[in-house]
Amino acid sequence: MNTRARSSAPPGKAQEQRLREVWRTPSGWRYWTSVNNVDVGIWYAGAAFAFMLFAGVLALIMRAQLAVPDNDLVSADFYNQAFTLHGTVMMFLFAVPIFEAIAIFLLPPMLGARELPFPRLGAFGFWSFLLGGVFVCGSIFFNAAPSSGWFMYPPLATDEKLSGIGADIWLLGLSFIEVASIAAAVEIIVGIMKCRAPGMRINLMPLFAWYLLVVAGMILFAFPPLIAGDILFELQRMFDWPFFDPARGGDPLLWQHLFWIFGHPEVYIIFLPAIALMAMIVPTFAQRPIVGYSWIVLAAVGTGFLSFGLWVHHMFTTGLPQISLAFFSAASAAVAIPTAVQIFVFIATMLAGRVVLSIPMLFGAGSIATFVIGGLTGVMVALAPFDWQAHDTYFVVGHLHYVLIGGMLFPVVAGIYYYFPLINARHLSVRWGKIAFWLMFTGLNVAFFPMHLTGLRGMPRRVFTYPGDLGWDWLNLMSTAGAYTFAAGVLIVVADIVRPKHGDPKSALNPWNAGTLEWISEPEEMWGVRSIPIVESRYPLWDQKNLVADVNAGRFYLPDVEEGRREGMVTSVLDAKPEQVIRVPATGGITMIAAVALAAVFLTLTFKWWLAASLAGFATLATILYWLWTGTAEIPKKAERDAGLGLVLPLYTSGPASVGWWAMFITMTGNSTGFASLVFGYFFYWTIHADFTAGATGPGLTWPLISVALFVLAWGTMMLARSLNANGSVGLMRTILVTSSVLAIAAAAAALAGPWLHRMDPVAHVYPAIVWVLVGWTVVHAGLGVIMQFYCLARSVAGRLTPTHDMDLRNTCLYWHFLALMAAISGAIMGLFPEVGG
Amino acid sequence: MAAISESSGILTAVSKPLRTNQEGNRPLLHGLWSLEVDISDRSKNIVAASNRPTNSKCIYQCRCIILFLGLALWGCSGQQSALEPSGEEAASVAQLFWAMLGGGAVIWLGLMALLATAIRGKLGPIDNRAATQLVFWGGAVLPSAALVGLLGYALWLMPGLRPFANSGAPQVIIEVTGRQFWWDVIYRLPGGVQFRTANEIVLPVGQRVEFSLKSTDVIHSFWIPSLAGKVDMIPGRTNRLSLVATKEGRFRGPCAEYCGTSHALMAVEVTSLPVQEFALWTERRKQPSPGVFAPGSELFEKHGCGSCHRVEGTSAASRFGPDLSHLGSRNTLGAGILPNTPETISSFIVRPDAIKPGTHMPAFDMLPPDDIRSIAVWLKGLE
Amino acid sequence: MTRILPSETDSLWTLFTAPVIWALHFLACYVLVAVHCQKPGVLGIGFSSVRLIIAATTMAALIGILLSAWLAWRQWGYGRDDPPHDDPTLRDRTLFQGFATLLLSGLSFVAVVLVAMPVLFISECLR
Repeated sequence: MNTRARSSAPPGKAQEQRLREVWRTPSGWRYWTSVNNVDVGIWYAGAAFAFMLFAGVLALIMRAQLAVPDNDLVSADFYNQAFTLHGTVMMFLFAVPIFEAIAIFLLPPMLGARELPFPRLGAFGFWSFLLGGVFVCGSIFFNAAPSSGWFMYPPLATDEKLSGIGADIWLLGLSFIEVASIAAAVEIIVGIMKCRAPGMRINLMPLFAWYLLVVAGMILFAFPPLIAGDILFELQRMFDWPFFDPARGGDPLLWQHLFWIFGHPEVYIIFLPAIALMAMIVPTFAQRPIVGYSWIVLAAVGTGFLSFGLWVHHMFTTGLPQISLAFFSAASAAVAIPTAVQIFVFIATMLAGRVVLSIPMLFGAGSIATFVIGGLTGVMVALAPFDWQAHDTYFVVGHLHYVLIGGMLFPVVAGIYYYFPLINARHLSVRWGKIAFWLMFTGLNVAFFPMHLTGLRGMPRRVFTYPGDLGWDWLNLMSTAGAYTFAAGVLIVVADIVRPKHGDPKSALNPWNAGTLEWISEPEEMWGVRSIPIVESRYPLWDQKNLVADVNAGRFYLPDVEEGRREGMVTSVLDAKPEQVIRVPATGGITMIAAVALAAVFLTLTFKWWLAASLAGFATLATILYWLWTGTAEIPKKAERDAGLGLVLPLYTSGPASVGWWAMFITMTGNSTGFASLVFGYFFYWTIHADFTAGATGPGLTWPLISVALFVLAWGTMMLARSLNANGSVGLMRTILVTSSVLAIAAAAAALAGPWLHRMDPVAHVYPAIVWVLVGWTVVHAGLGVIMQFYCLARSVAGRLTPTHDMDLRNTCLYWHFLALMAAISGAIMGLFPEVGG
Repeated sequence: MAAISESSGILTAVSKPLRTNQEGNRPLLHGLWSLEVDISDRSKNIVAASNRPTNSKCIYQCRCIILFLGLALWGCSGQQSALEPSGEEAASVAQLFWAMLGGGAVIWLGLMALLATAIRGKLGPIDNRAATQLVFWGGAVLPSAALVGLLGYALWLMPGLRPFANSGAPQVIIEVTGRQFWWDVIYRLPGGVQFRTANEIVLPVGQRVEFSLKSTDVIHSFWIPSLAGKVDMIPGRTNRLSLVATKEGRFRGPCAEYCGTSHALMAVEVTSLPVQEFALWTERRKQPSPGVFAPGSELFEKHGCGSCHRVEGTSAASRFGPDLSHLGSRNTLGAGILPNTPETISSFIVRPDAIKPGTHMPAFDMLPPDDIRSIAVWLKGLE
Repeated sequence: MTRILPSETDSLWTLFTAPVIWALHFLACYVLVAVHCQKPGVLGIGFSSVRLIIAATTMAALIGILLSAWLAWRQWGYGRDDPPHDDPTLRDRTLFQGFATLLLSGLSFVAVVLVAMPVLFISECLR
């Protein structure tokens, strides 16, 4: 294969210079308008780390308070804000974003790609995350931080007097970040499925990519239930709709279900990417391919699925039927199997190779040693009878910190030591690394091991103080000492990262002699890979001779620039056959503006400034439309591009061949999960009440069914418009498109008419409230559908959408499939269910 | 472990003068036992203690000692370790824990040995086939088998832990309602008798009692570690818990679900008594305290305490705050956070918020100190 | 047998067959029990019937997983080749998919058995 590569003409310096110029990161203040994955990845990681240190400081304050019994170092209220923020920040602002950061930074070079498919979306996600994070963290300096726990259980968190504005800050600030996470998930899934280097079939994909694919898929199904819960929660807080108020038919437990349907997969969303780093580090330092590649795939996919059957194990003490608890105990036990497989894969790989005990490997070994303890205590708390004792005690605090520090933080630190040469061509200090490791390892064990005993001796979680002489005093003192030891270790790592390293010797290009593609990329260059290689092995740098030289000499695909554009390759899902040359947007500030506008929406909502919120909403919509109009579905000047090595590829595709179609499909899958969560809520209320309508009138049968019929018609005409366009009947297509919009608006009006004409009062009882929510969901989505139709119309008129270049129209059709399905389901449920099934 | 023996050592030193100061006999021994057990951690004390005779006087004796020792040792109000079970469920679960701990330790040590071998490379590189076999047997088969066994054990335990009596069977039902940040307790005895108290629960040893658990404000969780696992108290729902205390003793039950600012300052004191003594206790609780006629009641009424509190035998009948009918006989004040003395009662009345941030009781620092003092003494006399 | 079963499909989705069966089985058990215990009147059946339904669902799920495993085994070439299946060929990619699907079927099988275990031990809702 390589002979083909080498036979091409030797590329010149001018070519290299052109490529460098196209991928150059702007300087000065424009630096921040960069959307390149390397820049965004580093900002993302830096911000996430800063948030981690902030949450760590909160933890140290808490440990100081708990060092001795009856301590009054901080007030009860401050302590409660501190533990709420500690959990929230570590989960939402560190653990999840750091993996998004690593993925954005590492995936393109690892897959042999130049960029992820949607660089602006990645940048938008980062800015959203940063703004939301600063907003949530900053609240503690105004004594306005959320103080109801990171799980925000109602009624404590829905009561305005008991929770203050903190709960709004939590809900709105984090909803914002959840949106960013879903954006990252879309980017990662499409990136892994469609942007791998030619030849990288799924059996050759780096394990990191397998894990990230699973994790991003999990985000799609895990985050939307929380967003659905957030919607219900904010509707209760802002408008007094009684979703969690038992006096009016609501139930606090619905929130717990929705929160933990998110919350447990979340643990694995955090854990799997960290293990993915281990799966890259272990083979490098065992100097051999991983043993049981397929087993890792089994473990990743299996964990991904099983993790959705565990959520009730956070609710073992809520008084659900024991038989239900038992199912979740069983699933919680089952998830230990794939986890055990992963650990054994690492150990087997080490046994089958010769281990180099470098700093990354030291942290890796420490990770296994401690994570296994967390895993074993995890199996313990998975059993309902034991959990009745351990739940909400320091036993669980001990367990979860072993899991998260052993299973997540240690691998991430290992990853930092491992990948640091990729960031700025320098190594971190080995001597200080060892000291940091032993401080952190000792600190972890001294701080958290005693907590298991403290918990079983009856110390509950989330207490700002405790009485002496219950057998907890010396255990707590130990934990505090351990926490500070741990912090000293973290401090050393941070100091080593930020210290200037100009004097240090430059590291080699592939200093650890790793086998995977990311080690080709040179830290100074922003192009990811000099030319896009053909991959023939799981460890191309070990197995493909001269690969590095050939890639860096530009002897593979796309070594040169055309029309001054940033370009990458799209390949097929299973076998990575080249399909398209994709042009990705370069530097631009629009994503930052969009994020600021969206932040303004959430900020103004927090303070209930309705007018400002609607203005900000319009600004966001306008910005996003501008962004789409200028940066997507661009019709290329010429249809095809010579990618080099005799390969000519199209520049424009639409439908399932295009990355945009996949992004829409994935986004709408997540969106449907949110909808399904609301439907779950509807039936949840049905199960807990003898008569869930509480005698209130429903929306009737007529209007919901009329609405469904109109939605189906609108969908049908939309499909018609697409085929008309494909057949060249552009004028007729435009007419039909408008007809479809009119039908959609009528359908939305009919959906509203049901509850409106029956005078359903959402404040009075939960039944009308949940009906209004389903109607609202449908109407908002119909509104978006109509906006998309008009967008297509405008594109068609502007000549940016033609019979051959119909990406926008096809994506809108895809949206409409989902919309029609959701509208039909919600109409049928509202119209038929309480009458027929009630 | 050294620290434990040390703390018991101090304890013995503290208790010795007590023995000489008071007329040592059974009650005193009981009192001392409480101290030892409550503060030290050795299970052998529990075993020994369960054999010791006791009666209701002992409790009062113990209380005297607490008063004597003051704040420093108020932990005497009860112990709360799940590893020193005094109830059927807690004992089964503790056994489950020790079994899992043993198994877990073996697994962990085995894995660590393997990891160390791998890192040190003593075996030399094993071949691919052997490595895959290791993944299959160690990663898949062994955990699967172990988990099927362990899950079977837990599932086998579950149905027996919390059986509920068939309808109609006479049983003590205790309705406990979680409030910010205290416990409202209603006893429903067989025969339709019922009475109300707060922040204290007394149980008959060896008899299954059923708790009916509710909340009217936010979510709380009811947990007596030494007797059984916890059950949440959720507004709008009524949860049930049934348990048997197998030993006499005094226990402490913290609120186990975060419930707001003073979540840390919410505990219930639990005492298990022999059946006859339990009957005596209920008899006394059904009637007003003899102390209600002492001076102080008129001040209690005059300053409006009755608009939140109820005291049996007076006109104060509100159910908004804790029932104070027999406050004087409780060991602790403010839901398990202070020793129960006229001084602490006074300070609570003056500034409840200073002791328990976020409490719903307003401060009464505008009242004349003498009046507060009189009310406190009167409340303390409600035995 | 071979003819009845679908021929080899070239898709990533077959990988998820067995875990999806597990998820459906889990959901069925959970929903059935939740509705039965919360609204005993709606289904109009006793707990023994619930157990029977779960047993039947479990059998169906296990058969489905075995079927998926058999298909995977076939795709894996009946185990004639050992992993790691890391050649850059269509054949190795297919074998890899078959093997990974087989492994996932095994995990799903054990998980379904674990999830069904509670009905062996617990004979009422027991709130």
